[in-house]
Amino acid sequence: MIAPFKVSYRQDLLLAKTPAAKASYAVLLVALAVIPLVMGEFYVGELGGLFIFAIAGVGLMLLTGYTGLVSLGHAAFLGIGAYAHAIMLAQGLPFLISLPMAGVITAAFGVAIGVPTLRMSGLYLAISTLAFGSIIGTVLQKWDALTGGFDGFAVRTPTILGWKIQGAMGTYYTSLIVLVLVIWLALNILRAPLGRAMVAIRDSEISAQSMGINLAVTKSIAFGVSAGITGLAGGLYAHYVRHLAPDSFDILLSIQLVTIVFIGGLGSMHGAIFGAVFMRLLPQAIAMVRDDLPFGLGRTPGLEPSLFGLILVLVIMFEPGGINGRWMKLKHWCKSFPLHRRAASRRQKSYAKSERLR
Amino acid sequence: MSIFVADEIAMNFGGIRAVEGVSFAVEPGEVFSIIGPNGAGKTTIFNMISRIYTPSAGRMMFDGADITNVPPHTIASLGIARTFQNIELFANASLLQNLLIGRHCHSKVGLLAQLGFTSAVRDAEIAHREKAEEVIEFLGVQRYRDQLIANLPYGVRKVVELGRALCIEPRLLLLDEPSSGLNVEETEEMGHWIGDIRRDLGVTIIMVEHDMKLVHMVSDRVLALASGRILALGTSSEVQNDPEVIRAYIGGAPA
Repeated sequence: MIAPFKVSYRQDLLLAKTPAAKASYAVLLVALAVIPLVMGEFYVGELGGLFIFAIAGVGLMLLTGYTGLVSLGHAAFLGIGAYAHAIMLAQGLPFLISLPMAGVITAAFGVAIGVPTLRMSGLYLAISTLAFGSIIGTVLQKWDALTGGFDGFAVRTPTILGWKIQGAMGTYYTSLIVLVLVIWLALNILRAPLGRAMVAIRDSEISAQSMGINLAVTKSIAFGVSAGITGLAGGLYAHYVRHLAPDSFDILLSIQLVTIVFIGGLGSMHGAIFGAVFMRLLPQAIAMVRDDLPFGLGRTPGLEPSLFGLILVLVIMFEPGGINGRWMKLKHWCKSFPLHRRAASRRQKSYAKSERLR
Repeated sequence: MSIFVADEIAMNFGGIRAVEGVSFAVEPGEVFSIIGPNGAGKTTIFNMISRIYTPSAGRMMFDGADITNVPPHTIASLGIARTFQNIELFANASLLQNLLIGRHCHSKVGLLAQLGFTSAVRDAEIAHREKAEEVIEFLGVQRYRDQLIANLPYGVRKVVELGRALCIEPRLLLLDEPSSGLNVEETEEMGHWIGDIRRDLGVTIIMVEHDMKLVHMVSDRVLALASGRILALGTSSEVQNDPEVIRAYIGGAPA
């Protein structure tokens, strides 16, 4: 746990700053690579789904956690990515072209929705993205010729270099590779000027502007990058569900994505992953105890969404740092044991800002 | 030639005239203070210079170029930096990150290069870091380098905000009440820093300030405002003894 002695500024730009961190990520990666060889198909499939949601979580984290823009329409980006990818596959485009293309197309949609919403923030932005989400949902339903309408269509099984991407194993590995790539991209953004500009906008728009940050351009880029990453997740999601239908990209999915970033912990990439793990594990946990719950509670419809809602509220009230915040506190507690003081993790009131110009 | 000229600038908010036809010129290398009672229009003038507000009338020239209508985010790259009355730092970022954001107007790497974090981006980052470290050394805040702003005491935040403005490498620095919220010692320290910035870095400073001791200590010229109009302009002692200024501050028999 001891940080190495700093001898050059280059060290601060490394992604893994200590040999211990480097080793632990390498071990994690190796473990993830061999899991499908030892675990059953069901678990591999579920993990593949988890990776897909983690990718979308990383995308939304860049927008909500780092730029401070809340989006309740990210299911639409997931949908656009899924349909774009599946349609291009059906046209005969190879996987390695159609997936990145799906990301680019979704990014273009992200910029397009980003530009008119630039002047909004907070609740108003959330409402307009919500509207955008339901518009896209309707388009997916009604545009029969392109999307197959309500019935949707089956997603073609693609091949990469002669290897068929099918079954749990195929989704698992492709999603894992894309997830690693996306995390790398996101971390690059965060250590570059763009990432700092995003954080600056989140914390104070007025001074960001006075520091030479172009609010409109930076917010549009944030929207575009976030949507593009979510679109990649969408393309993979198409393979995960294997049959696309418009009702899978509804408001509930958007709220699940928002739940990922809030419960995981805003403003941390670990948070996006933790959040996705939590979001995918909870339904499994519910399924496991469903039959043992008293009063037939387990068979109550809407148990899952209401539990999500309850947990979201509790997290926002009691642990705004989310799972990642709890994790950091735990790490700090272990490091300083037995000298930990409770005040170290107490929330502080920050100085009030009165001169708010928007 | 004057580095900054305000020519009959005015600002109306609906029916309220916050600033009415104010003109002044700031010479290179001087410390120019603006004083006045609350609501005199001091911060409004700052917000006009940093282009957050667009003047209702009048023109502003910086270094011979008209800046009345340039977009606000270009002000920094022109060489105008500012601080805020109530501190507008990026609270959930470290001190170092805050200073690096001050370097934003000097960054010229493309989006795709940033996505891949190419060696060009890395070298540029290291160059920015070196500049930020110079400022950290200048202000002596090394020990807070990696701390979040939210965890720093108020006095240090004031200094960090000054540092962030210095990272822009400005030619004109706007300080909005640099002493507000500081104790007597910290205010005096701030005065020395303002002197150092002017002397060592050759930066021209326009300052809005209430603490007359600080104003007297650092300024070459003082502009007194009341209700959006100029009351007096001159050296600190001239302005402090001006009967109009005394009347605006402590009242007096109606003329």
